[in-house]
Amino acid sequence: MEASGHVRSIVKSYDAIIIGGGHNGLVAAFYLAKAGVRVLVLERRDRVGGAAVTDDLYPGFRCPTLAHAAGPLHPTVARDLALHRHGVRLTEPDPRLFAPQPDGRALVLHTETTRAAASIGAFSKHDSEQYVAFSECLEKIGGAFRDFLWRTPPSTENPTANDVWQLLKAARRFRGLGKRNGFRLLRWLAMPVADLVAEWFETDALQAIVSARGIYGMNLGPKSAGSGMALLLQQALGGHVLATAASAKGGLGAFSKGLAAAAGAAGAEIRTGTEVARVDVQRGSTTGVVLSDGTTIAARLIVSGADPKRTFLNLVAASDLDPSFVTAIQRYRASGTMAKINLALDALPEFTALASATATERTAALGGRIHIGPDVDYLERAFDASKYGGYSEHPYLDVTIPTIADPTLAPDGQHVMSICAQFAPYHLRNEKWPAARRGLGDRVIRALAAYAPRLEDRILHRQILTPVDLETTYGLTGGHIFHGEHALDQFFTMRPVLGWAQYRTPIAGLYLCGAGTHPGGGITGACGFNASREILRDLRKASGSRRTQG
Amino acid sequence: MTSRYDAIIIGGGHNGLVTAAYLARGGKKTLVLERRRVLGGAAVTEEVFPGFRFSVCSYVVSLLRPEIIRELELARHGLEILPLDGTFTPMPDGDYLWRVNDHAETRRELSRHSRRDAEAYEEYSRAMVDMGRFVKPILGMTPFDPTSCDPRSLMQLLSLGKRFRALPRCSQQLQVQLATMSAADFLDQWFETDVLKATMAASGVTGTFLGVRSPGTAYVLLHHYMGEIDGAFRSWGLPRGGTGAISNAIASAAREAGAEIRTGAPVAKVLLNRGRTSGVLLENGDSVFANIVASSVDPRLTFFKMVGKEHLPDDFVEDVSRYKLRGSSGKVNLALDALPNFTSLPGAGPHLRGGLTISPSVDYMERAYDDAKYGKYSRHPYIDMVIPTLSDPSMAPPGKHVLSCFVQYAPYHLRSGTWDDQRERFGDSVVDTIAEYAPNLKDIILHRQVLTPLDLEREFGLTEGNIFQGELTLEQLFFLRPVPGWARYRTPVRGLYLCGSSTHPGGGIMGASGRNAAQRILRRWRLPGT
Repeated sequence: MEASGHVRSIVKSYDAIIIGGGHNGLVAAFYLAKAGVRVLVLERRDRVGGAAVTDDLYPGFRCPTLAHAAGPLHPTVARDLALHRHGVRLTEPDPRLFAPQPDGRALVLHTETTRAAASIGAFSKHDSEQYVAFSECLEKIGGAFRDFLWRTPPSTENPTANDVWQLLKAARRFRGLGKRNGFRLLRWLAMPVADLVAEWFETDALQAIVSARGIYGMNLGPKSAGSGMALLLQQALGGHVLATAASAKGGLGAFSKGLAAAAGAAGAEIRTGTEVARVDVQRGSTTGVVLSDGTTIAARLIVSGADPKRTFLNLVAASDLDPSFVTAIQRYRASGTMAKINLALDALPEFTALASATATERTAALGGRIHIGPDVDYLERAFDASKYGGYSEHPYLDVTIPTIADPTLAPDGQHVMSICAQFAPYHLRNEKWPAARRGLGDRVIRALAAYAPRLEDRILHRQILTPVDLETTYGLTGGHIFHGEHALDQFFTMRPVLGWAQYRTPIAGLYLCGAGTHPGGGITGACGFNASREILRDLRKASGSRRTQG
Repeated sequence: MTSRYDAIIIGGGHNGLVTAAYLARGGKKTLVLERRRVLGGAAVTEEVFPGFRFSVCSYVVSLLRPEIIRELELARHGLEILPLDGTFTPMPDGDYLWRVNDHAETRRELSRHSRRDAEAYEEYSRAMVDMGRFVKPILGMTPFDPTSCDPRSLMQLLSLGKRFRALPRCSQQLQVQLATMSAADFLDQWFETDVLKATMAASGVTGTFLGVRSPGTAYVLLHHYMGEIDGAFRSWGLPRGGTGAISNAIASAAREAGAEIRTGAPVAKVLLNRGRTSGVLLENGDSVFANIVASSVDPRLTFFKMVGKEHLPDDFVEDVSRYKLRGSSGKVNLALDALPNFTSLPGAGPHLRGGLTISPSVDYMERAYDDAKYGKYSRHPYIDMVIPTLSDPSMAPPGKHVLSCFVQYAPYHLRSGTWDDQRERFGDSVVDTIAEYAPNLKDIILHRQVLTPLDLEREFGLTEGNIFQGELTLEQLFFLRPVPGWARYRTPVRGLYLCGSSTHPGGGIMGASGRNAAQRILRRWRLPGT
């Protein structure tokens, strides 16, 4: 397993091919390689990382092009991959969130609950107290199913003894929540996040900040039921009421490179610039992949990090699948609503709310996530536009300035700004995407300029990625950043479809390891970790039965 | 005046009457106290204008449980349900969609819009009937407590899980989708005809403050699909004599079994004695005593007005105040000189004998909701109409008609102005909307009754004007209805029960809440110490 790159390059036979060098594919590659499986990762683009990459934005400016916050990884995964040894430095900013308000004030929220509560006190004493109670409660409830994100969903048809055991353990954890929180969990799963926050907070600002987590990346408004479940999932994954804000030195691309290095060190081979055109299937089993240049690479196991639609509707021939399965995949909802705007700035933007702050305070305040969306109605109206095939007049923005944590991403004193903008639906009704790109960019800048008036003058360059760009450049079908909506009917035993939630597929030897599997999107590596465990289990079973036969 | 009963029922709505009938049949000395002069709650027929009788609130029936009709022998007590055939939806482009109970006919009509949808309709109908079969037994169940380790709860949970697992995989998937998806997304999977999806999705939002695109609305679709008359799924009917006739039939059955019913007897307070109820105090100062009090009014009225927050645990008070009762609909009843004439299908054809709906597209429905989200009534509302006089001419003078219009959305909480000053403008917008499709409407209106959510609250005691005594949203269903931990018809006050639509399985003229509650109460009776 310690073979050098040169030796490995002449090895032409692989046990497993992983389609896509996104973070989940790399985590899966690591675990498979570590177990002695000969793994080849094929990445279409010229760099690994999928949605977690750092690209050139403008001469001298580099930027986490798509995702701008990572993790947290499961402690086991973090330990196994030993990312720090591969140069990964994750930093958690503090303050974690900055939310400028229309009245010129701003909420600056620290990671530590009591400090955040103190800032909230300036807005509302009631909310300040509630914030502490809420973050405790949310963490208790979200935390109760954290563990279960790192487990394979049970089989609904033939539950194994282990499935039943895990279910019992889950039931125990649920009961451990107590009656009050147990019922909260059940209610919140089904509720609109707007109703949920209204039960806790009175200030628009705080209601909007928490609500936003329920609609992030989703085709939902805060008043849509189901956004409560999205919030709980985010909490379970992220572990903090204000969302994860961790960034990597060198941008998330450095994080992905670290994953690739860990996988490589474990023995996996990674080829970039290699596009898989289709998965070869013979008599219901995979035999390998065919690249877009016509080359065939054989392997018994094919693990797709691509989304379910891409995998089953593009890479596998329809004739190799049951029509009802194909229908189910077609019905799988993955219509993206997020656009990404990256700006190269010649100076730090000047937010009105920070006018009287010192330079140090200003930099600190802007070091985490910047939330633009002052009240729940604002967020809901932003969503309304997308229902009728338009992009928001006043979009909800989740912004980071990665150069604050890592000044090397831009020339001295200059900055890059990374903006996730919602809602920009994949399907526009009266315009077409490439053409509407400029209009979208203008609205996003205008929305930000409402709080940082001279922003426009600071912009050296802007990059606008529409959902269609996310599809063409990053291979996200429908432009959905989570490889499919985080909805109750596309969750757990139903992700991507009922009966196929255990990372296996109807084709023997073909597995899924991307965000279209349980537990879904987010840069946590959980899907890749879970998938690799199932694949190794199958391998052990197969070799076990071979041994008994022998 | 004092007197003693075994059980007192607060509210003479259909659920209260059902509870009374079952308790009386169980040999209990039962008294029903109705605030208004007429029985029926929201299922009531009143002569609002001379000669014109309106089913003032609830206007069609389909959900009434067949076992109640059978057990209470409602037919013998005068209940007759006239079939309501089909749904007619006029479209702005001059076309229409007209589905009727005859399957082949509906197929032909759908093929006119989309051949694919005509095929899918078959499959869809079958699937929904299957889903309904799975859910139906749950309607008659007392919800278990998922957080308790009580063996009976666990058994119920297990048996439900077993039934679920016995479903074919495609049905399992559908069942979950129904429980969690939006009506629009759910229907998108089957159909492409916009007007069809809109009309079907409409039943997913009826009485609920959600849009057709909000997850959770698919369930309400099924809730309405489960309607069953004479064993046929998805058939709607009009009671002869209006929906009040249902209440009267149930009242007659209750009286025959020995229940006493008083109208014009508003209850002021539930009497408490060391944490348990001992009867009620009427607004006229009379006390009536009983060890069991079952309230068919909503939890807000029951607990905050009649019991008093100070007598209840804090958590419970908090949960009741969080219970969502936001009314989202109004009702406009019109007395007509002639029949409305729809441009898209002129004349007094059989299409007028069924349901008539203004729900031309999914976007139309969603925009109607958008207005309400921000505290306004819909400028172009979803309207569900029937002309009961075509099946039952006794409801109006000869040659005249009644048009009953259910209107959504009309939020109880208006952001600007009050319902008292906007009532007539709201009525105008409803008439204007219908007149876009049936231009003669304005010329044939003799009288108009406009009921805003505020009127529903004042007149019928429906808090915030919610027609289901609480929204039928996922977080308020089954073991969460009305509030977590208290879904088994009991309340923190010993001897006090809930038996109205605010309990599982919820609203509509279904009677299941009343029957389930009566069964719980009768069972408690058999146990010592209650």
